[in-house]
Amino acid sequence: MNAVGRVTATDDVRFAAYELDDAYDEMFTPEGVPRPHYSSLFDRLLDLSPAELEMRQQTADLSFLHQGVTFTVYSDARGTERIFPYDLLPRIITAGEWETVERGLIQRITALNLFLHDIYHKGQILADRVVPFDLVYSSKHYRREMCGLDTPHGVYVAVTGTDLIRLTDGRFAVLEDNLRVPSGASYMLANRQVMKRIFPGLFSLYGVRPLEFYGQALQNTLAALSPASPDETTIVLLSPGVYNSAYFEHTFLARQMGIPLVEGRDLAVHDNTVYMRTTAGLRRVDVIYRRIDDDFIDPLIFRKDSMLGVAGLFNAYRAGNVTLANAVGTGVADDKAVYAYVPAIIRYYLGEEPILPNIETYQCADPKERGYVLANLDKLVVKAVGESGGYGMLVGPHSTVEERETFRSLIEANPRNYIAQPTINLSRAPCFLDGRVEARHVDLRPYILYGKRVTILPGGLTRVALRRGSLVVNSSQGGGSKDTWVLNW
Amino acid sequence: MHYSVRHTTRFQYTAPISESVTEVRMQPRSTEYQQCSLFRLQVRPQARLFVYTDAQQNTVHHFTQPGVHQQLVIVAESEVLVYPRPLLPERLPNDAWVQIDDSNAAGAHYEMLIPSEVTAPTDRLAQLAKELNVARRGDPLSLLIELNHMLHRAIAYDAGSTRVDSPIDEALHHRRGVCQDYTHIMLALVRYYLHIPCRYVSGYLFHSRTDTSADGASHAWLDVWLPTLGWVGFDPTNDMLVGERHIEVAVGRDYTDVPPTRGIYKGNAGSELAVHVRVRMLQGAVNEDDADATDGDQTPVYRSTAQQLHARYAETLAAIQMQQQQQQ
Repeated sequence: MNAVGRVTATDDVRFAAYELDDAYDEMFTPEGVPRPHYSSLFDRLLDLSPAELEMRQQTADLSFLHQGVTFTVYSDARGTERIFPYDLLPRIITAGEWETVERGLIQRITALNLFLHDIYHKGQILADRVVPFDLVYSSKHYRREMCGLDTPHGVYVAVTGTDLIRLTDGRFAVLEDNLRVPSGASYMLANRQVMKRIFPGLFSLYGVRPLEFYGQALQNTLAALSPASPDETTIVLLSPGVYNSAYFEHTFLARQMGIPLVEGRDLAVHDNTVYMRTTAGLRRVDVIYRRIDDDFIDPLIFRKDSMLGVAGLFNAYRAGNVTLANAVGTGVADDKAVYAYVPAIIRYYLGEEPILPNIETYQCADPKERGYVLANLDKLVVKAVGESGGYGMLVGPHSTVEERETFRSLIEANPRNYIAQPTINLSRAPCFLDGRVEARHVDLRPYILYGKRVTILPGGLTRVALRRGSLVVNSSQGGGSKDTWVLNW
Repeated sequence: MHYSVRHTTRFQYTAPISESVTEVRMQPRSTEYQQCSLFRLQVRPQARLFVYTDAQQNTVHHFTQPGVHQQLVIVAESEVLVYPRPLLPERLPNDAWVQIDDSNAAGAHYEMLIPSEVTAPTDRLAQLAKELNVARRGDPLSLLIELNHMLHRAIAYDAGSTRVDSPIDEALHHRRGVCQDYTHIMLALVRYYLHIPCRYVSGYLFHSRTDTSADGASHAWLDVWLPTLGWVGFDPTNDMLVGERHIEVAVGRDYTDVPPTRGIYKGNAGSELAVHVRVRMLQGAVNEDDADATDGDQTPVYRSTAQQLHARYAETLAAIQMQQQQQQ
């Protein structure tokens, strides 16, 4: 269906290439009429000349460059740090829509924390055969060292970045739970900062809920999990170092919270206590917001060859002398094969129906489902269960014959390692590209903080698949982002 | 039987090192069949000792030595009462296989059933399995006793032929090995070809003259889980069932779960390890020969340049960069 005729009811050339089809459009109804919460933005876009919009885009890009808001693409042989592409136009969510998202996320993260506690203690959910035990124990991210360990307030996942998408009927659904070291909050904050400069009038007119308290909220969350009293707590952010793709974020968040940014070599363990080397001598550390993977945090217990971790850290953690956020071993609950069981996990622990639906998932470990997946590789999205960031993924409809054959042999060699999902037509939002407004697929990553209570940031990171037709929003795969407005109305 | 054990470990570093962090699994377990009545651990340089119990109920001591040092000495002394184990039946009913499968299907001892890092099946293991006809037949108990015996004959004991944590292929290639190899190979066979849960046991043996394994060192064997009997100990190195001469210290999936010592230090130095174990009987008939032959803690009987035990904190920029990028 060609939507030009409809949208150009306003007779504007800027919308000439705007696609409207089965995908849910964030801005327009299927009839091409702006939705009420987008109409002010729509009017503003018609007011501004393309040259003006272009100038604002350049101002925004320059601001990101000056702030050093970058990420690194590993597979790129040039190994370059890149500016995270920013789209000028906000993605807008109403108070009513957000209320559902918020309730759904609280429900989900509450259940997932209970699940993690259970599998690392009595394993009741496994004994009751609600989740297959071998799925849990064979997960790459299951950490047997966590068995019997207690975490402060039973919190395993202090920081979650859940990936939501909008189905064609407009409902939000969960695509992935990121429970290990979710990244992107700094881009969310940077986007907002720039947005306020680029569209100050429109922003204040709209009644957008603030995000700026994220640093403070994260710090409170971490302090709430401290073994020491809150006013005597030392929190540090443990980064792998400058070569990590998210290093910008590590520096940004440490600065926001006013806490030291450290690497493994800056810490030392003595007598089961973690210390930080400072110019004034050793200083005790109580909470570590760690941005390195489980395997690397302690070469004594996990990977012996890790040069990023701190020897003895895990034993100090086991003794309750230091808090790690997130806890070790949370990845078992965001394993993509365990994902399929999250609705059952919610019903099991909370006795409630899931508020946010899952995406239908085929387990390649199951011979019948594997048969279906192998016969429909051109229609499905195949994902490696332990990977993230869009790596190890096949998007069937956009794949070549060779890619599909590669995945066929990968799946046959190690079926437990793969799941498949129908290709979801993600919702589209208006983006400013080459002087025109075009529709691009988006997702949404809200951030959930869980300390003494659950805090959800109103908004999150809206990621955009900037290539026309692309469904992959990951920054490592050519995605960009835009500011997300959650309205007071 | 009542034993005293003295287990001395000395790490000598080729250059001064600092900030060493060490874990020790040397305290004998207290179980149905044995009681550890006394345990004393001394380390030099002096350090404050901490202790925890791991998921397998092993007692783990750990300590840190921040200062510069060039030698680490660990002396673990214990007294252990070992009770006779109940006599095993001659055989189990043939339908014991069904009970094993039911228990496996319920998820019991799951991690002792899947291949571990060191006990993963290989082509050479398949070859051995074929030669020894390792497949479910008859009843599980008699089959295991037969396998224990056949493995003892298939592998020649050769101190120094492999390292403690060698993959099974090294021993399988030359058909020579030490107690860890016999144990790892049998674990791999039992897990992969018989589908019976089994676990690695590290410990000590009160030696008699006829034993194959070397005196003066730690010993290793395996426990196999059998219906109605529970964990039954097999010692393929010495072609015997585990009994009153075996002192159990720690159990795990394989050696890498339960090394007597595990440590990390800072400094560009290699290390040389010397270990001596002395097991003495406290009551009853003392075997004078054994006591005399192994006395004298100063004589190391097992040497190796053990960088794999005390991993070096090498600082190669390229490797660090790669690891930083591996983080999600």
